[in-house]
Amino acid sequence: MKVCIFEDETYANFYPLSLTRPVFELKCGYFTLRERIQTHLGTDKVCYFMRDYLASWFERYYGLPVNKMDSLMGDDVLFVNGRWLMQKDELKLEGEEEAGFFNDTLLYLRARKKTLQDIYSDNLNLREILTGLAENTKSKKIKVTLINYPWDLINNNASQMEKDFILLGRVGIKGTFPSGSFIEGDSDKIFIASSAEIEPLVVLSTKSGPIFIDEGAKVLSLTRIEGPCYIGRNSQAKGNIREGTYIGPVCRVGGGEIEETIIHGFTNKYHEGFIGHSYLGEWVNIGALTTTSDLKNDYTSVQVYINGELRDSGQTKVGSFIGDHSKTGIGTLLNTGCVIGVGSNVVAGGGVTPKHIPSFCWYLNQKFYKGSGLKGTINTAKVVMERRGVRLSSEQERILEEVFKITDGERKEMIARSRR
Amino acid sequence: MTLEEKVKDIIVKVTKVKPEEVKNEAHLVRDLGVDSFATVELVAAFEAEFDIEIPPEDAERVDTVGKAVDYIRKKVEEKNN
Repeated sequence: MKVCIFEDETYANFYPLSLTRPVFELKCGYFTLRERIQTHLGTDKVCYFMRDYLASWFERYYGLPVNKMDSLMGDDVLFVNGRWLMQKDELKLEGEEEAGFFNDTLLYLRARKKTLQDIYSDNLNLREILTGLAENTKSKKIKVTLINYPWDLINNNASQMEKDFILLGRVGIKGTFPSGSFIEGDSDKIFIASSAEIEPLVVLSTKSGPIFIDEGAKVLSLTRIEGPCYIGRNSQAKGNIREGTYIGPVCRVGGGEIEETIIHGFTNKYHEGFIGHSYLGEWVNIGALTTTSDLKNDYTSVQVYINGELRDSGQTKVGSFIGDHSKTGIGTLLNTGCVIGVGSNVVAGGGVTPKHIPSFCWYLNQKFYKGSGLKGTINTAKVVMERRGVRLSSEQERILEEVFKITDGERKEMIARSRR
Repeated sequence: MTLEEKVKDIIVKVTKVKPEEVKNEAHLVRDLGVDSFATVELVAAFEAEFDIEIPPEDAERVDTVGKAVDYIRKKVEEKNN
């Protein structure tokens, strides 16, 4: 049985985080949605379907077929919706042909090799194939956790990290833990990898959940970490890192306070300032004293810019969603539920930012500008990535070019408004 | 105002330097202190005033007041032809 993880038509609900990656590459808990699906199904016989402009890079990244219709032939296939926050034993790899739905959303579809051969045609895309298969397959309703919006990733992050700590089954202090540092709570809810380093005067509190500190990570002196929390490979952490925080690989994070936040990877938030209930993409730099608001003063639900409009999240606590390669200047005050695109530069100049800053925009002194444009942003991205020994590939450059085109309209609109 | 006067007027407004400092030979960065933020503001102001598009790569190559005047004059002529 082959597994095919697909991105459905709701990908724009996750902009800007999903402008540069398929939705199933977003993280919740210790893993991406994709990794979680593959882990629970127990297979690496996988292919993927996503938006075309992402395929080239991700095929290279995975080393597995992406958007290849012929990869669906020759085997029984279990199609799985990549937005599923799959839990243990929710879905079996093998079984009869059937289509599982949560409300009206197709979650999975198991099809035999012959069924696929009968329906396959060069003219059909994946969505058409799935629609055709679902119409002729026994259906089943199930209730699962489906990620519909970016705040769902944040809301499920802490509980997922608790489950993932148990799932990984790694416990104990394998790395350095100096006598001047303390564990507050159960020490069997701590894992410190062998090459991780904890400096003196660090407090790790597991009273609210487990703490996982991965290989090569370093926790600097005078840091307090509250679980559930994950500190990623080769990352550095300091400051007040509160519960529900995931810090991905090769990040420099700390100073000030971070709470209930996902930092995808290769991102810096190294100085004072508060980040809460937020998702930061890759290669983001958060300037000193940048602060997110994650709670309105009237305690009403937060409106978030989703797919071209302000939408009521229904949530009281929502921070910021910041796309890859964006930067905030010193002292930036991010509005509640602020959405910052890919490759943006935000220098707010004392005021609170607007709710939405489009991709590749400079927001400067309360106005929108086109800034250094696509080429300038790519040049900056190359410099930033080289500092961490990573090269911006030609495929990734083409993704940024495509994102520039996709976001052209909204960017021009905001710039035009600034000139009125 | 002539085109040249408008360009120089915009430079004065954005940079806050004295009008007499905005000579054709003045270097935007070294003499008038135009940093990356001011560059972005200047580009936006020129685009709005003259109804032209200035690609960011072009903005990088214009380094004196005189070159800015010449560039904008050329862009306006292209637009009108």
